Amino acid sequence: MFDEMRIVKIYIHMAAIRPRSSSFSRSTSVASNAVPGLKHGPNGTMFLSSGIQDLDKILGGGFTLGSLVMVMEDPEAPHHMLLLRNFMSQGLVHHQPLIYASPAKDPRGFLGTLPSVMVSKDDKSRAHESEQEKGLRIAWQYKKYFGEQNSDSQRDGKSEYCCDFDLRKPLERHFFTGKHIDCITLKDSADLTTFHDRCSSFLSQTPRTDGNVIGGRIAIQSLCSPQCEFSDKEWDMLSFVRSLKSLVRLSNSVAIITFPPSLVSPAFSKRLQHLADTLVSVKAIPDEDKELAKLLTGYQDMVGLLSMHKVARINTQVLNVSSDLTSSLK
Amino acid sequence: MAEWICRTLRDGGLEGEHAPALIIKDTIRCPLSSFVFDHVLSQLSSFILSNKSQSKGIVLVALSRSPLYYQQFLKSKGYDVVDSPCWIKVLDCYSDPLGWKSKLVESGSILNRDPGSSITTSLCKNVRDLDNLFSSIIESGKELAGDGKGRFVVAIDSVSEMLRHTTVSSVAALLSNLRSHDQVSCLFWLLHSDLHETRATAALEYMSSMQASVEPMALPANGQIGNSMNLSLMEQNFRRGKFCVRVKRRNGRVRMMFEELCVDISGIKFAPVSSEDNVIAQSLVPKVQFNLQLSEKELNDRAKVVLPFEHQDNGKTTQIYDGRKSLNEGETEIHEKVNSSGKGEIIYFRDSDDEMPDSDEDPDDDLDI
Repeated sequence: MFDEMRIVKIYIHMAAIRPRSSSFSRSTSVASNAVPGLKHGPNGTMFLSSGIQDLDKILGGGFTLGSLVMVMEDPEAPHHMLLLRNFMSQGLVHHQPLIYASPAKDPRGFLGTLPSVMVSKDDKSRAHESEQEKGLRIAWQYKKYFGEQNSDSQRDGKSEYCCDFDLRKPLERHFFTGKHIDCITLKDSADLTTFHDRCSSFLSQTPRTDGNVIGGRIAIQSLCSPQCEFSDKEWDMLSFVRSLKSLVRLSNSVAIITFPPSLVSPAFSKRLQHLADTLVSVKAIPDEDKELAKLLTGYQDMVGLLSMHKVARINTQVLNVSSDLTSSLK
Repeated sequence: MAEWICRTLRDGGLEGEHAPALIIKDTIRCPLSSFVFDHVLSQLSSFILSNKSQSKGIVLVALSRSPLYYQQFLKSKGYDVVDSPCWIKVLDCYSDPLGWKSKLVESGSILNRDPGSSITTSLCKNVRDLDNLFSSIIESGKELAGDGKGRFVVAIDSVSEMLRHTTVSSVAALLSNLRSHDQVSCLFWLLHSDLHETRATAALEYMSSMQASVEPMALPANGQIGNSMNLSLMEQNFRRGKFCVRVKRRNGRVRMMFEELCVDISGIKFAPVSSEDNVIAQSLVPKVQFNLQLSEKELNDRAKVVLPFEHQDNGKTTQIYDGRKSLNEGETEIHEKVNSSGKGEIIYFRDSDDEMPDSDEDPDDDLDI
């Protein structure tokens, strides 16, 4: 486990993010956001959190409901597991239904490594801050900029959109009760049809036309892992991902799939990358590399690099966040 | 570095974690990996026999070399093989991997003249059935380590041989099952990477936590073999090589280490890398449209540039204030102010920088292009 790490923080090295908000904004107020795990996004979309605050910021709010997220693994580093852990923990904290599939024999064991919500010690100081702010008389033109900050500072434990997770402590047992968690092993399946059926029945629980939106999560780890029998049937895997994408688009869920691109043929890897709505890759960094230490500040704390290649564009042509960012994981 | 690897394997894995797995690979240009394999085997044997290791024994799956070879090798290193079979067990997949010989013996066509080896535990007659192989490995290991918490090392001589008979996914499944088994302390195997497709090699590297590759020290200048210098280089590559190790650390960083190895009659020797071989680290900074790095010449030139506030004191005539050169002057003044804050001085900031000196004229008229 990660002894040295507590929270996953992502530092952006390249460009600074400046989300361009459109001049047209919906009249939905913040108060109508009754469901804690979801947030309204631009263009009629809804977001759910990835579990890492900095990643949510890079994505412009979180993962869009109905999108397919693909994470390109680096075979030399387990950072994709970090992303999966935070994603799954966030879902469990918000009581969102979850399916987890992996090539391990006993995938339920992975649930034991999910991090718990960090108890923030500075609730008091934050309350103090907001009181101080009320003392300031802000001109009405500038109140709209402060609106975002205020909504972020509403810390209330479970009703937070994105929690900080403490990787050193496992998630409390009471989050695991309930029938909304399903763990599937991909190891002994000759093909993906049974898993596909499980996913489609799961996704039918959260259809798009439903008035009561919950938000479901599907997490598939290491899809093209060589231990699975279907790993050399590339077209089967591709058609599975494609049909999963179409099922997810019609539902109010997010599916995240991690795969190691070096283990599949380059053409197939490209096809998988094109299928993704949001594409992220994680990369290992060499240890004790003096060149890199000179080039990057904070090299000592860094464990890996995260690159954003594509961000989901649903109902829009224009992104309000910049793509092609590389950030470091600490 | 070789010692470091052996120590890491000796220490094994923690409870609940996957066992460390080492892949030793080479190519035809420098085929010395079998010596490395033997070296690791003998080091681990010595650790086990002196009770310094987490594991109690070694299960060796012999596919490309006969168990007799191992018996003689370990004897030559001074390890007692014949009398104490309680620390090493060999699964013989070399003598009769597909069961043809036993079929012929059964039908009476040939006589079984093979004396066998005292070190052999069991003869494997069907290398294609990897589930069976897995259970025989675990069985032999349990005999060595006891059923409880005892652990054992698994060594596979030449996964390349295994890949001749079965698919990559079944070999990968076998390796992953071994790694995740509670009683396996560590695992190492040999692979000749140029015998397989890159995908197969990549899949096996994915299953490992440490990669040790043997590479040639000197590559021939061009592909032609006829040249005598190239021949001697090639001969050298059969005796010396570069030993590169990549370790996947727990925190996600990758550690790379290099050594030189040299094989002679007495065995294999490792030495720290000589300074001639420079490691070129791959740049991880993403390519941007403009050049962020400076070349040597550019670095030198940059060092030579005299900045404006540096040269006002060295005897040159001070620049006469002109409305447009206020930047230089401003810097000089501020710089001097900072330096001489101890003395009493009149600090006067020109505020005439803001006003346009000749407002009805176009300042660009002065440019002579």
